[in-house]
Amino acid sequence: MKLVYRGAEADIYSGDWAGERAVYKFRKPLPYRLPELDLAIRVQRTAHEAQILHESKSAGVRSPFLYYVSARESLIVMEEIAGPRLKSVLQSSGSYTERVSAEFGVAVGRLHSAGIMHGDLTTSNVIVNEAGVHLIDFGLAVRSVKVEDHAVDLRLIKETLVGAHSDISSVVMKSFLEGYASVVGEGRAKEVSRKLAEIERRGRYARVE
Amino acid sequence: MKGDRRVLGIESTAHTFSASVVSERKGLLSDVKDVYVPRQGSGIHPTEASNHHLAVAAEVIRGAMSAANIAPSDLDAVAYSMGPGLGPCLRVGAVSARTMALSLSKPLIPVNHAIGHIELGCMLTGAKTPLVLLISGGHTMVVSCSSGMWRVLGETLDLTLGQLLDQLGRHAGYASPCGRRIEEAASKSHRYLPLPYTVKGNDVSFSGLLTAAKRMADAGEPFEDVCFSVQETAFATTVEVTERALAFTGNKEIMVVGGVAANKRLVQMLSIMAGRHSAIFNVVPIRYSGDCGAQIAWTGLLEYRSGMSVPVEMGGIRQSWRLDTVTLPWRLSA
Repeated sequence: MKLVYRGAEADIYSGDWAGERAVYKFRKPLPYRLPELDLAIRVQRTAHEAQILHESKSAGVRSPFLYYVSARESLIVMEEIAGPRLKSVLQSSGSYTERVSAEFGVAVGRLHSAGIMHGDLTTSNVIVNEAGVHLIDFGLAVRSVKVEDHAVDLRLIKETLVGAHSDISSVVMKSFLEGYASVVGEGRAKEVSRKLAEIERRGRYARVE
Repeated sequence: MKGDRRVLGIESTAHTFSASVVSERKGLLSDVKDVYVPRQGSGIHPTEASNHHLAVAAEVIRGAMSAANIAPSDLDAVAYSMGPGLGPCLRVGAVSARTMALSLSKPLIPVNHAIGHIELGCMLTGAKTPLVLLISGGHTMVVSCSSGMWRVLGETLDLTLGQLLDQLGRHAGYASPCGRRIEEAASKSHRYLPLPYTVKGNDVSFSGLLTAAKRMADAGEPFEDVCFSVQETAFATTVEVTERALAFTGNKEIMVVGGVAANKRLVQMLSIMAGRHSAIFNVVPIRYSGDCGAQIAWTGLLEYRSGMSVPVEMGGIRQSWRLDTVTLPWRLSA
């Protein structure tokens, strides 16, 4: 097996599972964390991620198939989805940007409609290929139908876009919201957007005038 | 010295009134401060703090000038922290700076306090465009530079790390700032009590943690154990979101600045995390981790070189002023 990515909380290996290309997501102990706290977090997130990954497919979201889960080893083996991350797609593509952003919005809309908050929607956790937009990394996902939680998902998307793709952030966000609204409905999309603005105003030193 | 440029910087956002002189050729020439200390068990009272600043302002500024061994007429510009911070405190620094700029006929330069922490940190540690963790009483933010702006990748949704530690300390009867007392107490314990661990994407939240910790202390758990558990939990969430931002940006350089950067356990955790990603880890020297005039003087010099002064009548204060709204000409290539 080959280490392909060292993330913040998991190492991603590429290998195979019963003849299929597979990703091994291994939450290694983080040496800076107190061991007992570290173990509790790894076990909880692994079990949770596997459950919600499974549920996301019923919601009609493209995401990896689960092959094997071990909470004790904090290991998930899943389908490998080929294709670049949205992060690099946004850094290179031109006319393509709006369509991909809208599809991203549709995927998140489906997830939210099924009562799931992803919790970590950065442009690194979205894979784009011929089949469409795929969501990965459900480690911080929770079941929630709350407007607040759905708005927190959108807030991270916006934060990431402004932080890492500042030149095209408004174009991407606009198309994303169109795709999102097409699934959750205009009314709900407006409600979530309003809540997003409210969360931003709660931010430290946000302009209140 | 001919051709050199010298800027006076005045800092007064919260409990510290400080002044510093920086020279383009020789670096920091002085950094003098006087810190308001609240009563036991209390936090900063804005009016009391500003009264303190009024009382010491002239002496601190005079001290910075004489330690730098230059005359007021040798200054090229006067910089001050325009915000964010406590209004009554900010006003003392702003009035002092306007008075000096007017009487000396020198440019007046407003500085964002948070950017001051970051730019001074870069100068002192030699970091170029690092991923920055800014942790203090006013901020808990992970920022990264792009297109001439320090942009926020993650931050606290409620309390800052400094507020968390201060409010826990005050609950035990100490006076702000309590960071050192909490760190001392925590170092005497190895007993972990489970507390809420809140990471939301790249953001952290400490209000639930604080409530749970206060309840534990009230229920009779030893204060050392509570401090230990709060530090371990809060720092782990902070390091986790920093690591998330590091993995996301692929930056190979990290810098931690702000008052809470003085905490050894937190610095140790960040250093272990940086090692996992083979990233260079920079910590602002403790002498300059807290609020100081040097952060304003140095950033003021950078702004002065870019022509960023304001007319005296525009030299007000901005209590709410996010760092991700300020374009910095010297960062445009980043």
